[in-house]
Amino acid sequence: MRILHLGTDSFGGYGGIALYNRELIAAMASHPAVDEVVVVPRIVVGAMEPLPKNVTFIRSAARGRLAYLNVLRGLPRPFDLVICAHVNLLPLARMITKYPLLMIYGIEAWKRLRDPLSNRLVRSVGAVVSISDITLRRFLGWSGYTGSTHLLPNSIRAEWYGIRPRNRELMARYRLEGKRVLMTLGRVVAAERYKGFDEVLDILPALDDDVSYVIAGGGNDVHRLQRRAAALGVADRVAFTGLFPEQEKADLYNLADLYVMPSRGEGFGFVFLEAMACGVPVIASCLDGGREAVRQGALGPLVDPTSTAEIRCAITDALAAGGGKRIPEGLEFFSFENFERRTHAIIDSQI
Amino acid sequence: MCGIAALFAYGTRAPRVDDGEIEAITERMRPRGPDAGGIWNSPDARVALGARRLAIIDLTDEGTQPMTDVDGDLRIVFNGEIYNHRDLRARLQRLGARFHSATDTEVLLQLYRHDGPSMVELLRGMFAFAIWDPRLRRMFVARDPYGIKPLYISDDGQTFRAASTVKALLAGGRIARTHDPAGVAGFWLMGSVPEPHTIFQAIRSVGAGTSFFVDERGIHNTRRYFTIADTLVRGVRDEPAANLVDPHVLVRELVTDSLRHHLISDVPVGAFLSSGIDSSALVALATEATNQPPPTVTLRFEEFRGRNFDEAPLADRFARLIGSDHVSRLVTRDEFLTDLPKLFDAMDQPSIDGSNTWFVSKAAAERGLKVAISGLGGDELFGSYPSFRDLPRIVNAMRVPLAASAASHIARNPKAKALALYGRSWAGAYLLKRALFLPDDLPSLMGADAAEEGLKRLSMIAHIAAAIQPDPGSAFGRVAALEASLYMRNQLLRDTDWASMAHSLEVRTPLVDATLLRQIAPLLLVEQQRCKQHFANSPREPLPEWLSARRKTGFTVPLAEWMHLPADGTSTRMRSWARVVMDRWS
Repeated sequence: MRILHLGTDSFGGYGGIALYNRELIAAMASHPAVDEVVVVPRIVVGAMEPLPKNVTFIRSAARGRLAYLNVLRGLPRPFDLVICAHVNLLPLARMITKYPLLMIYGIEAWKRLRDPLSNRLVRSVGAVVSISDITLRRFLGWSGYTGSTHLLPNSIRAEWYGIRPRNRELMARYRLEGKRVLMTLGRVVAAERYKGFDEVLDILPALDDDVSYVIAGGGNDVHRLQRRAAALGVADRVAFTGLFPEQEKADLYNLADLYVMPSRGEGFGFVFLEAMACGVPVIASCLDGGREAVRQGALGPLVDPTSTAEIRCAITDALAAGGGKRIPEGLEFFSFENFERRTHAIIDSQI
Repeated sequence: MCGIAALFAYGTRAPRVDDGEIEAITERMRPRGPDAGGIWNSPDARVALGARRLAIIDLTDEGTQPMTDVDGDLRIVFNGEIYNHRDLRARLQRLGARFHSATDTEVLLQLYRHDGPSMVELLRGMFAFAIWDPRLRRMFVARDPYGIKPLYISDDGQTFRAASTVKALLAGGRIARTHDPAGVAGFWLMGSVPEPHTIFQAIRSVGAGTSFFVDERGIHNTRRYFTIADTLVRGVRDEPAANLVDPHVLVRELVTDSLRHHLISDVPVGAFLSSGIDSSALVALATEATNQPPPTVTLRFEEFRGRNFDEAPLADRFARLIGSDHVSRLVTRDEFLTDLPKLFDAMDQPSIDGSNTWFVSKAAAERGLKVAISGLGGDELFGSYPSFRDLPRIVNAMRVPLAASAASHIARNPKAKALALYGRSWAGAYLLKRALFLPDDLPSLMGADAAEEGLKRLSMIAHIAAAIQPDPGSAFGRVAALEASLYMRNQLLRDTDWASMAHSLEVRTPLVDATLLRQIAPLLLVEQQRCKQHFANSPREPLPEWLSARRKTGFTVPLAEWMHLPADGTSTRMRSWARVVMDRWS
């Protein structure tokens, strides 16, 4: 069986979608009936991770739009399954097959697309695989698609994380000695204010003085948030990490006593899995995919991100509980083995 | 859903609370709670609590009020429903709380113990309650964000009294019946008595979204924990989040969530169905949420047959489409005239509205329903009143130099002539739009001295302007805040309460929900009047065009025909009806 994966980024890419695609490609490649997974990326920006066996990665496609089209035209066919790993690539996927399998992740599939052609094409894809139930329901709400659907939530490799002692250097850098630490990690950009940094900042003055807030990530909204923290009188209790190296990530999570992200735009919320894999208790939103990352509240409390009172209570309850770090039972639901099993079941349904 | 009462002789000179008084107050509210009743007196006779209960959640005797917590310490009387009580209970149990019942009432007690007065911000529902804390010798009193459930108080400086109705407080026999000119003036101006005034000087309404303590010092620590204007202002900040999701999908998601909460009940829940978008879309979404259409009720009047006001044909057609067990209840003039004395007895304060809810609630109760959902609030939420179009036009036009004086010279209609006086401000324009009578009419209706005093104390323009502080920042936001804080609260919600409770029916309003408003505010401010169409399109099968495109009419009854009301310059003859109401209400 030959599978074609048309995606934006995967190997040699940064961020959540790239990671998800790498896991997906690895899981597909391990299916006993799969002989080859051909990956055609739009973007390759970083060092390449090792490729799983049976994977053919056509790096030259990432040189530009024309290169991508040329690669698609020259691909040896047929393919038994074509994965369209971003809704924007659907017109290209339709050049290869009439019934591609469409992957959807989050906000890119929450509302009608700008391209009228793609709006028509989504109705007739072969199947839809969604990272979360909320993304799937929102997609079905506007798209008119009525065919088969599958859920494939993120996986987490627990061995990459783990509970560690707090890194002294980072503690000193962010002035966290003797503090109880709240954390939110993500791109700090104006276009993603839905992550809920503002909501946590607003509550900080009402919390005990020994509670600090670490905003982990960089972007064009940092200065605004710094001004907001100053206006609220909590500038000395808020640390901005800026962009940080990937290898620091697990240590960063391990600084936190509580991971809080009262967001409204997360398709799933992989960061919750990462925080939990570091043993950090989490508070997620009931209004986006975060609720699925904490399995509807089983792995961590849900709050309405529009309710200051709910967020405040959830934080004070969690800090008062002071249960220390513990990787929650049930996180194995998101293990790579389970991800792989779900992926294989989807492939089986398409054969 | 209940009727509640509380007495607290807090002053050193206050006489002990009287058993007879709390019994009389509670008994006056029997129709609000026919299933059970109870009274509790403190051992020192300084505090008394009373309640009548309509059992909806936990039908066992464990739900009887006044209720105490497992420690036998705190006591509560509570009217309403807490729709998120299961989530709150789970949280409290994680924190170590113990419960002896499955009621939402007991959740309130434990929540107070754990979170103190900030507990009110965690509640999703409609409520009015009083909690007696004997250790601190204080009473905590609160009312829901929108003011769905009523709560009236009287405080003579020595004894604090509270009850769910004005008439119940009076039934205790300790409160003077002196009319409040401000309340009377408010009725003539708006057709209902504006909060916090009542028709009696000694009785005030607890503000919506307000909590306070009563202790030996009297009422203090009054806190307004919710206003519609505040919520809309916050929504402006979150507008980018609204753009992430297809509008009708987001409307569907958020309204369905509200509906799911409002459908929590241990008894069957029915629905009022008109031929409008709000009730129809709610019924459609409720059907999807529960996989079963709720029993539906519509009113039918021979006088409206063949006219646009007749909602029965389209409601019947929609009920057939959705497969609901539907009743189209005929109401005749004879029945209206027979019911009128009972209607006026149940009418807690004078109001020109409520007859419609009286009969639809009666029809629902006849079907054995104890709970019904209503589309009330949809026009305020989704901006479908004409005021959303007209108020900005008035304000903008009157700000053009000389436009106001020109209008007052040319116009013949009294309201048009008053444009120059009122039309430049949002509050003034709203008064003009909603006014039954104008301030100049009041001396002839209530006497010159009373009118002068009433208007002065009422300060109607300032009162209206307070509803848009802080400024929601857009015309849509201002009108939404005005309509929901004034017309809906003082007229629609209050009338719904007395008219439904008279038939022992609990009406639930999923579109009047503070959580829904917080969540949907950003979308409202982006989409504005388009939201109504998004709501119509929100069910899996969008509402049919023969229903969603129907010209809007009010939910009304043929009062003019039934009462042979004389012409009064209004199409509905509501001014004439107001005179009847003021004459016959007691």
